[in-house]
Amino acid sequence: MVQDRQNKVMSAKDAVGRFVENGEHLIIGNYTVGTCLELVFEICRREKRGLTLYSQSGILDVDVLINAGCVDRLVTTYVMRSGGKSGGGAVERALQAGTLEMEDYTNFNYNARLVAGMHGFPFMPVLEGVMATDLFRKRGFMGDDKYRVIECPYTGKKLPTVPAANPDVCIIHVQRADRYGNAQYWGSMGSVAAAALCSSKIIVSCEEIVEHDVIRSSPHFTIIPAFRTSAVVESPWGAHPTEVLGYYNRDTFFYAMFARANATADGAAAWMDEWVYGCGDRKSYLDHYCEVFGAGGLERLRAKSFYSAPANYGTAYTSLWDENGRNRVLGLTLEEVEREMAERGLLYE
Amino acid sequence: MSKRFTLNELLIITCAREIQDHQNVILGVGLPTTAGALAKALYAPHATLMMESGIIDFEPLVPLHHIADAHCCRGFSYATDLFSAFTMTYRGFVDICFLGVGQVDRFGNVNTTCIGDYENPSLRLPGSGGAADFISYAKKTVLTLRGGQFVEKLDYFTSPGYLDGGDSRDASGLFPPGSGPGMLLTTKGVFRFDPETREMYLAQIHPGVSVADVKKDVPWDLKVADPLTETERPTDDEIDFVRRFAPSEALGREAAAELAIAHAAGKDR
Repeated sequence: MVQDRQNKVMSAKDAVGRFVENGEHLIIGNYTVGTCLELVFEICRREKRGLTLYSQSGILDVDVLINAGCVDRLVTTYVMRSGGKSGGGAVERALQAGTLEMEDYTNFNYNARLVAGMHGFPFMPVLEGVMATDLFRKRGFMGDDKYRVIECPYTGKKLPTVPAANPDVCIIHVQRADRYGNAQYWGSMGSVAAAALCSSKIIVSCEEIVEHDVIRSSPHFTIIPAFRTSAVVESPWGAHPTEVLGYYNRDTFFYAMFARANATADGAAAWMDEWVYGCGDRKSYLDHYCEVFGAGGLERLRAKSFYSAPANYGTAYTSLWDENGRNRVLGLTLEEVEREMAERGLLYE
Repeated sequence: MSKRFTLNELLIITCAREIQDHQNVILGVGLPTTAGALAKALYAPHATLMMESGIIDFEPLVPLHHIADAHCCRGFSYATDLFSAFTMTYRGFVDICFLGVGQVDRFGNVNTTCIGDYENPSLRLPGSGGAADFISYAKKTVLTLRGGQFVEKLDYFTSPGYLDGGDSRDASGLFPPGSGPGMLLTTKGVFRFDPETREMYLAQIHPGVSVADVKKDVPWDLKVADPLTETERPTDDEIDFVRRFAPSEALGREAAAELAIAHAAGKDR
């Protein structure tokens, strides 16, 4: 079988330039950990505008995009608070300024929208407890389409449903991928695969690009198949200061510095100038980090190895023809099979 | 006389004692993780600790920063996804979960979304996350309130407790019978819910706190257990475990942050 094995490796700049348009629906694939910050920063640097942002759970990633003015609408279940009671961060500021519209879901109900979208269903029934809450009663920009109630055709019970989500583009960070776009991810699965697979375009950034053979020997780690991926960006430390299992820990101190800065508009702007706009790409961000905190700063975060036991994918044989060229089922060589065909009158002229 | 303990240690240990052996336990970040680690180490060795991010049966090695922390992925039994973590809750496989509270009303309904108007809030709180789903379908929920408030009416109704009280939760048909909040733990005492009216009452009080101290935070006429007992003192084993596992939490956020910054500054010199 001929397969289209297109090399999709490119820079973050090219990937965002080619595959993220103003006004699109953008989904962050990662969930509270190892988030795709090099791609997020690049979207900020390219001054994308008018995005509808989907995030299962907002952390630094959502706040940075809102601080940059990229986002008009936010669909989420959870947002970070940066400054305790004194200041909540980008989402709170944008709501108070009237520059952001928001739709709040529960974790499951948000995820159900992605799962419906991923499988091609128009909607998904969800856990009915939400009907007792303001999550169900209060509607934002989605209005009636936030939830609609149906009668179960089997039990007659009232069931809330959510509409499928099919964002235009997913940005996502994973541990490793091959150059064709097979993306491998392990650890906390969250809604990571669903977020990618419900989207039309998928930009994958990864800690390292590996040979295609590595992927083929460990297919259970693959969450996105090559044919769905639009771009592959190799970005070591691409999720810093969040952590990537098997690569590095969360940079707790740096993260706390962001939270402190992000508690006020001025602090957030200064942080964005220094770490997002002041660094052209991840490499210059890392250089700047080492200038400020010393070269040992990153090394202290590096993960010590703890390998998964290899799983045996072996089979009894990999060819129907044995070492003597005989077919294992028929007991014949290829020549003998052809002679049988001729003798039995099975061959056309 | 046993060891002296901090308020945070008392809260963590009181939470941990709600976990029974062999239970399936959904943990959140902070106090619940440490409570789960303590229970697993001292009295619930067969408990299955789970995170909604799909990390099932993990060993807490260090306190966690968030519910997908890499440290709980170093050796765990079942890697599922968020969708399945909630459907297993929906199907009744989660015995107990722990949720933090922004505002709580007398029937244990919870707001973690906003203070003030939803579209123009004075404080935007984190939101539901998994809270509304878990309190709906876990067999039992433990609520913790630190820095939140008791209110007559929630600014936003995020997570369902006993709705309007009485049998309204069960009668709604939306929830498994018998589910709902079992306890509310605050920095001043332990609250439980009357089995008939489902209104919360003060069940136990922490050492050094008076009933008047508790009542001044509560806008309704709070009922108090008679006799009112003091929250059980932690044992030395419990205190030792918490202090070794999570010294920062034992100290409290402010003291821990002060010491961490001093330590980091020392490193630079």
